[in-house]
Amino acid sequence: MVGWIDVARVAVALNMALLVVLVAVWGRNYVQIRSKHTLGLLLFGVFLFGENAFALYFYLLDPLLADWFSTAVPDPAWQAMVVLHVLETVGLAVLAWVTWD
Amino acid sequence: MEAVLWYVLTSTRGGANRIRILKALDERPRNANKLSENLDLDYKTVRHHLDVLADNDIVVDSGDDYGAVYLPSDRVRNYWDTVEEIMEAAE
Repeated sequence: MVGWIDVARVAVALNMALLVVLVAVWGRNYVQIRSKHTLGLLLFGVFLFGENAFALYFYLLDPLLADWFSTAVPDPAWQAMVVLHVLETVGLAVLAWVTWD
Repeated sequence: MEAVLWYVLTSTRGGANRIRILKALDERPRNANKLSENLDLDYKTVRHHLDVLADNDIVVDSGDDYGAVYLPSDRVRNYWDTVEEIMEAAE
């Protein structure tokens, strides 16, 4: 049975995958082009990756929180969280699409 | 325009090669074939970069046939100090 928490986990994992692609492109560019702009995007990507890594850790591995999130949080609250994660996934997909050019 | 130049030239996968193409076109307008030879890039790759540059009004072409010669647009000429800043960072 797939619950809302699983949708959230998948969305967060996708965010991390998209950010790995973005950070790889921006990181390689920063090595070649040492500008404030390339460094800024690289740091932005790293911090947003960190945010998603923490989210996945809380939802999946944290001894206290993972259990609480999967059993004690009602569906309406999860649906609201899923909206946030999925909108971020769409936003990152668009950014990856223009950056891959 | 500054934001477009920074993104298209420094923050995308093909940015470094697009800087080389723009530099070559600033020295002397040329067609895709010549760019491909001079910069040792695949013809299809050059075509793709020229499309992206033209789409963002960074370069313009002299006509619409295959031998079309490309050159920096009037608009990018107005922001050439930004382009130079980018080229210096890329050296």
